[in-house]
Amino acid sequence: MADKTLTLKQSRALEALNLRLGGRLRTHLNSCVHCGLCGESCHYYLRYGDPRFLPGNKVDQIARLYRRYFTPQGRLLPGWFGAGDLNDAAIEEMVDVVFGGCTMCGRCSIHCSIGVDIPFLVRTARTMLHELGLVPEGLQSTVNAAIESGNNMAIPRDEMVDTLQWLEQDLRMEVDDDSAGIPLDATGKHILYTLNPREPKFFPLSISAMAKIFYAAKESWTISTNCYDTTNYAYFSGSDASARELTQRLTGEMQKLKAGVLALAECGHGFRAIRWEGPDWLGEAYPFPVVSVIELMAGYIRSGRIRLDPGRNEKRVTLHDPCNLVRAGGVIEEQRFVLEHAVRNFVEMTPNRENNFCCGGGGGQLSMGEYRDRRVEAGRIKADQIRETGAKIVAAPCHNCIDQLMELNQVYELGVEIRTLAELVADALVLKSPAVEGS
Amino acid sequence: MAKVEIGGRQFDLDGDGFLQQPETWDEDVARLLATTDGTGDLTDKHWAVIRYIREYWKANDMAPMVRKVCQNSGLRLREVYELVPMGPAKGACRIAGLPKPDGCV
Repeated sequence: MADKTLTLKQSRALEALNLRLGGRLRTHLNSCVHCGLCGESCHYYLRYGDPRFLPGNKVDQIARLYRRYFTPQGRLLPGWFGAGDLNDAAIEEMVDVVFGGCTMCGRCSIHCSIGVDIPFLVRTARTMLHELGLVPEGLQSTVNAAIESGNNMAIPRDEMVDTLQWLEQDLRMEVDDDSAGIPLDATGKHILYTLNPREPKFFPLSISAMAKIFYAAKESWTISTNCYDTTNYAYFSGSDASARELTQRLTGEMQKLKAGVLALAECGHGFRAIRWEGPDWLGEAYPFPVVSVIELMAGYIRSGRIRLDPGRNEKRVTLHDPCNLVRAGGVIEEQRFVLEHAVRNFVEMTPNRENNFCCGGGGGQLSMGEYRDRRVEAGRIKADQIRETGAKIVAAPCHNCIDQLMELNQVYELGVEIRTLAELVADALVLKSPAVEGS
Repeated sequence: MAKVEIGGRQFDLDGDGFLQQPETWDEDVARLLATTDGTGDLTDKHWAVIRYIREYWKANDMAPMVRKVCQNSGLRLREVYELVPMGPAKGACRIAGLPKPDGCV
């Protein structure tokens, strides 16, 4: 390891790899047989045909460094064993491929003949680039905003409160009941509901929709105005320290407000990061359940806590499966169950569920403007999938996907509406008026 | 980064089409930017949104909450979304010459 040709930062990046070299990482680093089956699974490779975008090459970005610095044969005979130096050229390619050419969507892994966890290796490569200070600026600044301000859009607390109170007034008018509300910072509630900051800042209809659903379900819930961010862009940037910090804040808020269940807004990577990665970052299991709001909605329908009239959503609806919620998160059938009850005409995309294609906006791509053209080109596959369904509405239970789909809608002239699941459910809600309830 | 020319002046845009030097913005630039994202011709309603966002950003160094855009322009939320198909962030903020906001936009 004491290689004099390495800079201090390069040594630190290799040390970050070394520290993570447990059984899981070693297994995946040693397993790729370069069969190439993964190529046809990757939306970048399919659109560009460039071997740099082969998932196997993404594996190699980090595996060749592992072989060069952490295996005897790679150290002695690097050329024979596919080992490569950590130098400027290697780093440049690494940034371009693992940040600029991958959404960590994981579709390659389910098509991999060995089952190599390729997004895990890509994230580990990003961790090394984080040590080198090479996280793209827009992605890093989104992490910084979350760490410094408490949410990834740096929304001041009073602005957040004003927006939620404004939405509360609207809700009361809509359901014609002054007791309806958006409870802020309340202790002892069953649900602590978290948001993607994009909702209060620019797209609050999804908050109104969830508030209406919670009202209809007579749920005990609250939103914290101090700590409400579902997102965790440090999952994308590769910084475990920041990812841990953001997770700790949410667990701390759960304890402070003595809430029973942490419910996450429709956010793919947030669900993956908090539900599945968080306990690893913290080094312990959560003392409370973490659920996606999709699971909550399905539960309300199943138990009869809310009633829906699918006739209120007559247009044809298709469903986008966010990679981190579905393929990596295991929430697969609940959104379908919800849609079957909330809309009249639901049609699947092909392929779907865990074999779904990424929208192209994952992996932090939306925050890395320098790769925008690739993101939109790689998203063409999703655009074609949507067009083939003939749907007028795309339900997308992920705010990140929604933004990418809005751009695809414009660029590829799809002529569709992109909506959250909650918005469709809220539109289908059958609310009993207080007068009827009493009779 | 891409270069775009308007009235003999060169502008630098970032990958998402936001002005690299927000101070070079003027209303002619807004008209040009609006032609590239499906917004099209700018009406009085557009200008109410764009000018408010611009002024708010100059005073506060950040984009306003969409609530403030609605309250100051007198428009309903759905009207704002209809005016700018790319939404308040990638649509209105971009046309108003702001830097790209952080987060899922």
